[in-house]
Amino acid sequence: MRREAAARRRPNKIAVLTRREYLSRVKSKGFWVATLVLPAAMAALFVLPTMILARTHAEQRVVLVDETARLGAGVAARLAEPPALGGLEAARVAVEIEPPAADPAAQRAALDARVLAGSIDAWIWIGRERLADDVVEYHAESVSNVITQAVIAEAVEREVAAMRLVDAGFDPERVGELTRPVRLATVRVTPEGGREEAGEAGFFLAYGMFFMLYLVLMIWGQQVLTGVLEEKSSRIVEVIVSTARPFDLMMGKLTGIGLAGLTQLTVWLVCLAALSAPGIAGALAATPEGFTLPVLTLPVALHFLGFFVLGYFLFASLFAAVGAAFNNIQEAQHFTGIPIAFLVAPVLVIFPVINDPDSTLATVVSLIPLFAPVVMPVRVAVKMPPAWEIALAYLLTAAAVVALVWLCARIYRVGILMHGKKPTLAEIVRWVRYA
Amino acid sequence: MTPTLELRELRKAYRDTVAVDGVSLAVPPGTVFGLLGPNGAGKTTTLRMVMDIIAPDSGAVLFAGRARTRADLERIGYLPEERGLYRKMTVVDHLVFLGELNGLPRREGRERAREWLERMELADAAGKKVEELSKGMQQKVQIAGTLLHEPELVILDEPFSGLDPINQGLFKEILAGYKREGRTIVFSTHVLEQAEKLCDSIGLISRGRIVLDGELAAIKREMGGNSFRLVAAGDLGRVAALAGVVQVLPAGDGAARVLLAPDADRAAVLREMVAFLDVREFVGAEPELEEIFVRAVRDAA
Repeated sequence: MRREAAARRRPNKIAVLTRREYLSRVKSKGFWVATLVLPAAMAALFVLPTMILARTHAEQRVVLVDETARLGAGVAARLAEPPALGGLEAARVAVEIEPPAADPAAQRAALDARVLAGSIDAWIWIGRERLADDVVEYHAESVSNVITQAVIAEAVEREVAAMRLVDAGFDPERVGELTRPVRLATVRVTPEGGREEAGEAGFFLAYGMFFMLYLVLMIWGQQVLTGVLEEKSSRIVEVIVSTARPFDLMMGKLTGIGLAGLTQLTVWLVCLAALSAPGIAGALAATPEGFTLPVLTLPVALHFLGFFVLGYFLFASLFAAVGAAFNNIQEAQHFTGIPIAFLVAPVLVIFPVINDPDSTLATVVSLIPLFAPVVMPVRVAVKMPPAWEIALAYLLTAAAVVALVWLCARIYRVGILMHGKKPTLAEIVRWVRYA
Repeated sequence: MTPTLELRELRKAYRDTVAVDGVSLAVPPGTVFGLLGPNGAGKTTTLRMVMDIIAPDSGAVLFAGRARTRADLERIGYLPEERGLYRKMTVVDHLVFLGELNGLPRREGRERAREWLERMELADAAGKKVEELSKGMQQKVQIAGTLLHEPELVILDEPFSGLDPINQGLFKEILAGYKREGRTIVFSTHVLEQAEKLCDSIGLISRGRIVLDGELAAIKREMGGNSFRLVAAGDLGRVAALAGVVQVLPAGDGAARVLLAPDADRAAVLREMVAFLDVREFVGAEPELEEIFVRAVRDAA
């Protein structure tokens, strides 16, 4: 059955290894469980509280006793049309106006009884004397329903203010016009011109991007570590390096896992967009009317992708080297702290960076190679830094990637064939020098 | 005839040891070559240098008469001593992957994997994950993976260690068939009886140096005149002290193998032995590898 090896072509080994790495992950049940459970959990996290809130705040039955006899109707009217809050009708309050009785003490006792009996949720007492001290009473079994209270307080406050202006001699018609609330319209200035955009939205976008990078690098960096350890402990590795270079094996592993990570990220983004769109819209709607969604512009998206790829190779090669140097996850644990520390460190500075993206702190941190992949895209999202800074960040990070991949490949080359004793740091340094 | 594999003065030193110290070998095509030696002699390091897993400090590896390139590695099958498979992959995917690494297109790899699995009575396991197979079945998959791309040269490091007896037999049969097809096999072992049955030629390695190499038959012939089987009652231990006796290897039950120096007087030795032993048998016999090995190591020292 001897066949001639005629049609033999040189295989691209990195591609073969990448394909195996990618498929073996994407084909596993665990991958899809992890990929689908997270959006499901997120959806639950977004949607459930929304639903619960919507249900609990279905309707508050409130009795209003107004000694002034001038405020009740206005307050009731305002409460009948509550402001949108967090995308839901924050607090619907059904107001029943009760005229003050001859015996206030008896009336109060009766209202308390109704609250305890559950036929009403609360009663409000606008007393002439207490109002002079700027106080309105609110009585309820639970007084921690802060949203409802805020809505009621606002309604009463606006009515009282209007009443006082009328008392001071203003025309009731004009009072309504003069006391309209003011909102802060935040406009983002870009070279292409100004664009109205809510401040919160920019923050959420930057922070969301940071968190996504951080999560993906953390999860998939660890996957690289366990993947290398598995190859070592299953002893498959020597079979592979008899035909592929250790460097090919490492690059195939990093690329394959990276692609699996991107696949997962894509599924997450699609699921998140589909499942929690109402939730996000709700959260963003917290800013009043006139609000516009932040736009993920093409340059921002491209920088995000560029730094993501560099950051992934930077950290994944570190994890690969740690995996190659040790025999099992317990031994490796102490050293995984090194890449993780570099990943976690930007968390400490990310809020100041988002708040003031031009500060010296932000500039310096976003140029340091190990921090740049997560910090620079955040700066780009908040406010486009000077081109030379971005270029320098790319250059430094790319240089660090080349240096680290080279270094880690040497550790990898020797380490993957080492079994048994846990190596000392001095031994690892020697591997790098003699590999 | 150009040797399929030739090593020239290969050398590899680590910080405090010289693992391989100037090894030169030539393996003609279509033969089985055994690299023999105790554990730690430098066998694995030598084979790893052949496969470019370890770079030699100096020396050269030649494949079919010219310096071995990375591309040549795809025409060589390698079974390391430390071996294993991806546990989560299915058997057929795994074989196709190993073939692909060596330049075998996927479609062809799938066909050949099926042939091999049938031959090894594993056809039913094709779609199973490696971890679902018994150890013996995994060994069969490993063997198939080494040979799937039909390499011209097969390098096997301690191929029979860890194999169950049935797979040992199966593997030997496959290798015999491989040799009949004109392919070349190089394997290492520290179990000398295995080599004795399989090899055309051998290289004995000790402390990183080749102490003896050549065709097994010729080596045996050369040393045969001086090897004897002795069966006697009495203190066999005293034989070793006689003039002209190089070595006495007790074989149990009053038997021993006696090795004489090339210039020893056989009759004189027998006369002296009779003085203190009740000799029942003293006949010339082919030496066993173990004997040859012990002697070669001693001569080299």
